[in-house]
Formats: sequence, structure tokens, C-alpha cells
Amino acid sequence: MASDTEPLLAVTGLVKHYPLTRGVLFRKQVGAVRAVDGVDFTLAQGETLGIVGESGCGKSTVARLLCGLERPTAGTVTFRGEDITRLSGKALKAVRRNIQMVFQDPYTSLNPRMTVGDIIGEPYDIHPEAAPRGDRRRRVRELLDVVGLDPEYANRYPHQFSGGQRQRIGIARALALRPEIIVADEPVSALDVSVQAQVVNLLARLQADFGLSYLFIAHDLSVVRHISDRVAVMYLGRIVETGRDTEIYDHPTHPYTQALLSAVPVPDPDAREHRERIILTGDVPSPADIPSGCRFRTRCWKARERCALEVPALAVPAAFRDAAGPAAHASACHFAEEKHVVPPEESRLNGNGPG
Amino acid sequence: MLLDVRDLHVEFHTRDGVAHAVNGVGYAVDAGQTLAVLGESGSGKSVTAQAVMGILDTPPGRITRGRILFRGRDLLTLKGEERRRIRGAGMAMIFQDALSALNPVMTVGDQLGEMFVVHRGASRRDARARAVELMERVRIPAAAQRVRDYPHQFSGGMRQRIMIAMALALEPALIIADEPTTALDVTVQAQVMDLLADLRREYRMGLILITHDLGVVADVADRIAVMYAGRIVETAPVHDLYKAPAHPYTRGLLDSIPRLGHKGRQLYAIKGLPPNLTHIPPGCSFHPRCPLARDVCRTEEPPLYEVSGERGSACHFWRECLDGLGH
Repeated sequence: MASDTEPLLAVTGLVKHYPLTRGVLFRKQVGAVRAVDGVDFTLAQGETLGIVGESGCGKSTVARLLCGLERPTAGTVTFRGEDITRLSGKALKAVRRNIQMVFQDPYTSLNPRMTVGDIIGEPYDIHPEAAPRGDRRRRVRELLDVVGLDPEYANRYPHQFSGGQRQRIGIARALALRPEIIVADEPVSALDVSVQAQVVNLLARLQADFGLSYLFIAHDLSVVRHISDRVAVMYLGRIVETGRDTEIYDHPTHPYTQALLSAVPVPDPDAREHRERIILTGDVPSPADIPSGCRFRTRCWKARERCALEVPALAVPAAFRDAAGPAAHASACHFAEEKHVVPPEESRLNGNGPG
Repeated sequence: MLLDVRDLHVEFHTRDGVAHAVNGVGYAVDAGQTLAVLGESGSGKSVTAQAVMGILDTPPGRITRGRILFRGRDLLTLKGEERRRIRGAGMAMIFQDALSALNPVMTVGDQLGEMFVVHRGASRRDARARAVELMERVRIPAAAQRVRDYPHQFSGGMRQRIMIAMALALEPALIIADEPTTALDVTVQAQVMDLLADLRREYRMGLILITHDLGVVADVADRIAVMYAGRIVETAPVHDLYKAPAHPYTRGLLDSIPRLGHKGRQLYAIKGLPPNLTHIPPGCSFHPRCPLARDVCRTEEPPLYEVSGERGSACHFWRECLDGLGH
């Protein structure tokens, strides 16, 4: 998709299964939780890829795999031409500098017994080559300034800060080693609405200033759209649809994406009447017991016999292959078709919205 | 009027001083009406609801002033036993986190049935039958079998349905739902909100929906009350408020939502942070963050000005805000 630039990061066939075992003395594997079950994507320099999906779809596991917090069961993660899943020791440590993570919960991801300065400076203890000892204090103060906090705060403790400020501290820590990629797992969902916008703006500014690439994982579709160049929709461990943001939001072809978009409450009471909502039945199946064929078929209103037999590939559907329009993007559905779920009324209103 | 809250004040005594959580809140709900109470964490929206339900922890909480009129009777003057009778039969509450609100060591059937045993003196057998009926009403599949299951055996969406069933059990006139879908996924959230709206229509209940989500409000509410630092800063019919907010805080919230036309641009962000409730700024509590703030805002607390017959705004300069100034 973003073929004009060499991808910085390429993920192919990424799989993470957690074994389910029975027995104490003779452990026998009786199954597996297939948290991530064959995921491919690329990320170019300076680009933002948004990953959306509901809880249990595997999006956070993807984040942990990329940062090396988990080892994949299968698949490759290629960073600048090198498969980082095969690295260990020094080589792995060197690569990890370049991929840093921002966590969801600013309350539990900062050590309450460390000062803010120590938290932000800790990456330098692990990677001493990144900054000479005498220079660290200055670097930490600089980082605080970059994320919009007073450098004097370096001696305070996390509990003295609000949620939004703590998330800024987490971002400063992620920036300390000057990474190329930041994996942000739900970075604003724990924050109040009025503070969310501040943090989203900060992330956008840092990207422009430092040429960062983001993997932005969230369940809030409007925030993802605002910040992402491309979007991937995940369901039960797989990407079911991916494309540029307008392709996914304005021309979705996968029924799950359509249901997801139609279910999002729109902050416009006038849209109530002319919105068509697709209410899915039932719950997401357990990742330990994934349906055969298309994994969405148990909740899909279009499901037919073929869906139970054949796994749909993530590719541009045959119906759109010849058309050059925005519907021609990868969608893993046998019966993909366009459906406008966001009412045109809304886009008109928003186009002229206040600003 | 079904529920009429007037000039309610609640404070909490904490180690750091007195936290003024609710500072003169008033709102009203009629039968069949949905009132959304919108606010961020610490705005006092949940504390107000707890005071109405009579489940406020006292101490540390204390209701220092105000009246809570339910069908004309002031609940704050009632004795414990009378109050208890209204809770459940007159009004019921749905909580955000169903897993911690349900008893993990009782089957859902026993928990639902308990309502009928305690309030209506039903036999155990009767109670079980009523429980199944309720579960069917909130569309839980295979209710007759699942009535014997424990809360952990249900998914998040199904657990929230059980909470709704429990609230509906005694057919109350008023339901207070505190962030009922915040913990749920989008597609499940849509199912639950749909169910709640259907049931409200069917039973002609009054519904108070407490939320921080402007999208959810736009979807279901008739009226909205926006809270900030323990006060109602704006109240209006939903359509009017989204079209033209009359308080800078409401305007800021609406503008900070990422929208289609704004892609690639900076989001509007309300500067600063919500105030500490032990040190609420004098005058208008929003003035340190307000783009319209002037000297009078720092000294004089704005009353809830009447904007029109149905609208109120606690801003000295609500006219300018309505006209879209200050941005």
C-alpha cells in the first residue's frame, strides 16, 4: 500500500498462541488461546498505522510482540531489513532502543517510588551508550520540556501528577532513547475527554518534530482516524480489513468493519434519525475456540456455507480488483461489498464544523 | 415531576481537607424522559446520583444542603426503612462495572430472585420463575438454563444485561444508569443501549444516564445537564446544546472531539486541568481554563442564567458563547 517508501518495519505471518495445558505431573497441551493468528502489516518512516478492534482481538499482544515483551510462536518482524524475532542478547538490546512503547494506564505504568527524573532517565541505565552520565540530567529536563511539562518537576513523584501529566511522563520516557518507532497501546483511553485532545496533539507534534513512526492501537475509532494514515481492523487475532483511513471509514467492505463503524455513537443528535445501525448478535467467540473458515461468520448477517469452509484471504476482493476507487483495498470477506454506514449528513456537517 | 433535585450540596472530609464534590446541583426528570448527566471524572455526576439513590458513603460523605423530591416527597427526610422501600421499587441503579456489582458466589438466578423474596415476600420457587422471566426480558439466550450460572460464566455484555434485569425487577419509575456501557466494546455497547432505550419506552420509566461520552448522549438523551466541579454549568434539550452550546466548557468539549473535517489539524484542547475539589477556584470555577474569562469571572460566581425557557447556562458571557465568540 505505502509502496512509495521502503517500510521501516514489516510484519509477516505473526502468530502468538498461549498453550492451554492440563495435568500437573504430565502436562499435556489440550489446546491454545490463539491471541494473534497470522498478522501481516508494514510501517513506513514517519507513518502512523492505527489498529482498531474490540477487547480480545489481539491488538495489545501485537504491541507486546513488536516491543519484544513476548516471543512470537511464528512469523517475522523485520526492522530495517533484519528479523528481530531471531535476535538475542546484545543485538536484540540494540534493536529495542528503536522501538519504544507508551502504555494505556498512566497510573500503573510509572513506578510510584521513583522520581519523575529517575523514571525518564531509567532507559539510560539500561542503554548507557545513549547518553553520557554527566549529560543525563540535562537530557531529562529537555524531555520534560518537549512533552510540555515544567523541567523543575524532575524531582517530584508520579502521584503528584494528574492522569494527563502522567501520560506525558510516559511519553517522555518512551522518547528518551530517540526511537524510530513508538508503539502506543490505548494511550488516551484512560484520560478525561478534555485532556485526551491535549495528548493527541502532543503525539502529532512529536511525530512532526522527530519523524517518528507510530503504531497507534485504540478502540476509539474517531481518535484513530484523526491520527492515522492507514488503519487495520482486527477481529479474533487477524486483520480483517486494512487500507488508507478514508478507504476504511468511508468505503468499508468487510461486514465487521461496517458493524463497528455503525455502532459508534455519533456526537450529533440530528444523526439519530437517519443512521442505519447494524446491531451484531451475540458475543465475540473465545480465541481458544475460533470458528472454522471465516472467524466472523458466527456474528455475520451475510454468512453462507462457503464462509464455514474457506478462510477468506486478506486481499483486494475480486469484485473491486479492476476498479481503482477507494473500495479497492484489502478485505478478508468472501462477499465483500461497499456499504455507507457513516451518514453523508455527518460528513457535510463536520466539514463546515467550528474550528 | 418524578424526580426533582434542588440545590444539593455534598462534601467529603478527607485527609487533605474538605472536598466539595457537589455544590448546588439541581435537575429534574419526568416519567418517560431521558436526562443525560455529562461530566468528567471528579465533576460530581456520580456523587449526585449516589445521593439520590441513598447509597452515599457517610462518612466520609455528607449532604450539607438541598432537597431530593421523589414524587413530591423529600427523600432526605425519610427514615432508613422508608428509604429502603423506595430503593429498588421506586428507583434502581445500574453500575458501570457489572462484575464487581454482582455477588460472585451467588447464582444470577438467586440474585435476581432475592429482589422478589425481600421486597415482595415471594417463595423461592416463585422467585426463580420471575428471575427467568426477567432474563428473557433483557434478551439473555437460554435463560431457563443460564439462571443457575454464576456471574463469571457470563460475558461482559451479558453481565450488564443481568444488572439491567436486576434494576428492572420491581418495575421502578426511575432508573439511574452510571456509565452503563463504558466497560463494554462498541458493538456490545450498541446492543445494551438499544435494550435500555426499548425498555424505557415500554415501561415509561424516567432514565438518568450518567456518562462522559458525548456520542452516547447524542444517541439517546432528551435533555442534558453538563457538570463541572460539582455544579451544573449548562442544561438544555440535546438538539439545542449540540447546535449551539451556551457555556465555554461545553463548547470546548464538543470542539475537542476529533471530526472528519479536522484531520491533520490540531484538535481543539481545553487548556489546563479540572480543579482540585478541595481548592475550587473562586468566582466561576472554570475561569482558569476559559477563553472568555474576564475580571468578573474571577470574583463572581455565575448563577444558572436562563438562556431560554428550556435552557440554562452558568456563564456570565453566555450570549457571546452562543454566538460562537472566543475561539
